[in-house]
Amino acid sequence: MAVVTIDKLRKRYDGAAEDSVKDMTLTVADGEFMVLLGPSGCGKSSALRMIAGLESITSGAVAIDGRPINHVPAKDRDIAMVFQSYALYPHMTVAENLAFGLRRRSVPAPEIDRRVKDVAARLGLAPYLARKPHALSGGQRQRVALGRAIVRDPKVFLFDEPLSNLDAALRVTTRNELVKQQHELGTTTIYVTHDQVEAMTMGDRICIMDGGAVVQIGRPLEVYRNPANTFVARFLGNPPMNLLAATLAWEESGHVVRVPGGRYPVEGYAPEDLARFINGPVTLGVRPEDLYESGSGAPHLAPIRTRVVTVELLGAETLLILTAETGEEIVARIGRDSASHPGDIADLFLDTTKIHLFDPVTTKVIPRSR
Amino acid sequence: MAARLGRHHAIELWLGHLRRTPLLLFLILYTVVTGGPFLWVAMMSIRTTPEIFNDPYGLPVPAHWGKFADAWTISKYGTYFWNSLIVVGCAVALLTIIGSMAAHCLARYRFRGSRFVRVAILSGMILPPQLLILSLFQILLQFGLYNSLPGLIIAYVSTQLAMTVYILEGFFAQLPQDLFDAARMDGYSEFEIFWRITLPIGMPAVFTTIILNFIILWNEFLYAIVLLTDDDKRTLPLGIMHFMGAHQLDVGMIATGLMISIAPVILMYAFFSDILIKGMTAGAVR
Repeated sequence: MAVVTIDKLRKRYDGAAEDSVKDMTLTVADGEFMVLLGPSGCGKSSALRMIAGLESITSGAVAIDGRPINHVPAKDRDIAMVFQSYALYPHMTVAENLAFGLRRRSVPAPEIDRRVKDVAARLGLAPYLARKPHALSGGQRQRVALGRAIVRDPKVFLFDEPLSNLDAALRVTTRNELVKQQHELGTTTIYVTHDQVEAMTMGDRICIMDGGAVVQIGRPLEVYRNPANTFVARFLGNPPMNLLAATLAWEESGHVVRVPGGRYPVEGYAPEDLARFINGPVTLGVRPEDLYESGSGAPHLAPIRTRVVTVELLGAETLLILTAETGEEIVARIGRDSASHPGDIADLFLDTTKIHLFDPVTTKVIPRSR
Repeated sequence: MAARLGRHHAIELWLGHLRRTPLLLFLILYTVVTGGPFLWVAMMSIRTTPEIFNDPYGLPVPAHWGKFADAWTISKYGTYFWNSLIVVGCAVALLTIIGSMAAHCLARYRFRGSRFVRVAILSGMILPPQLLILSLFQILLQFGLYNSLPGLIIAYVSTQLAMTVYILEGFFAQLPQDLFDAARMDGYSEFEIFWRITLPIGMPAVFTTIILNFIILWNEFLYAIVLLTDDDKRTLPLGIMHFMGAHQLDVGMIATGLMISIAPVILMYAFFSDILIKGMTAGAVR
């Protein structure tokens, strides 16, 4: 059992003007696959290295199964880490790389041999045990790095962007392999990435970070459907969520959000949450997949007038790059065929039930009550 | 058609040869200029001094191979050779151990004063030996190490340490930090990380510094002549100078001594030149 608890974790490097990690609080449940997701420089790798014991902690606490590990040396934390560069020792064979960590821990030689063979069989590395890293492909090296972590049988796995050096096709297969191994082993895992596809497909939960701070934690689809602020809304999703400057108004029919060229009823919000935004600015968010070329009379679809700038035919779908009447760029994801051409006026339809409203000052989402 | 193609191909071949001719001429000239003196000394080493004065560029007929045995025993080149081997061997061993550890620390760790230590060590490369020799003389005299092999060893280590650290630090700094982090998480101590990770991976650069230090120190003359006075403590370069008297010059024996002196260096370069070149270029990329 391994529950990782992070409480108000902070990191400030010497000479830095501000914290690289700001009051990070997070609990990773036993056996959970937690993904730390964010852009470069957001502090996710720093946080991971503090958990690993490779960086000192400025303040805050990290605990495994309730045992604080702030002052426990990295080697005694029972954590195995897979690095972005794999960190394979180039002068050792695959077998020696796998066994290296065990030799130091006085594991008997027959046991080391057994574990190395088991892990090699599990990961398909048996034919390569006598090879050195330079004679392996990228995918094989990645598996050796994973094997070196598995052979230690630790309480926690830490992954620092292990797939970023692989090509796109290999990334997909290796991603699935990693998830499969983690589910079979049931080891608590913290995985750092900047790739949202990895985060969405691999994590039980994702923790999104920006500027050193935790912005949102939740299940992938939950975070995708209910982003906490405009940063999360734009970071998750490709193409990102469209954000338009709008005004909120109260009409007889209810709350309405207005943009030049359209007005859209908003439902599901508590009046007290919207009260301070009435007749004031809000940010309207709508995902590209919630824009349609035809309304088909559906009551929840409302028109929005746009001008087509570019049509990207991707085969399985089409992306329309458009300009709204506000002058802002929006992207619509529609079916595989489109009759639109650059320069056309496109009257699209927006799904009003999928609208998100954000405070334009704090950028935080205005929460729906139902 | 085939004949025309054949003629065209032949012309291309000749033009290729013509383009390479200036380079070839330069290489021949360079070989003659650098290899010629060596060949001449080699021939003189098996000729007697009167034969050389009689015909300086003559062929060694008859060849006096016994001169090497005489040089080794009668002229005490054997003693000088072993002195050189002891001094240079110990100095290179110390340079390798101290230099590699210092380079590892400077490349891998950030500690208070590391910048000062780096500047202090590397500034030793800037100062010419002539500037240091007098103060070194005084220091060794004070510590009772003047006119001793250990004193010369210490002098050699101090003068070559900067270059050793410079080459090795450049190479060690290129090693990915992840390797060391992984070893730390596997439970290895800092010394074990140096011994099991840095040294094995850095062996090409370490070997390069061993070869370079050996070649430089084997031929070193200035410190040896100032810091050694006893004949039985002389190193090979001093031993050879022994045959340059005020009134006579035993050219034959000098040439024989030179060949004894050059032989280890030639052998080392012949066997390890590939490693030397690889190590130099690897360490040069910072």
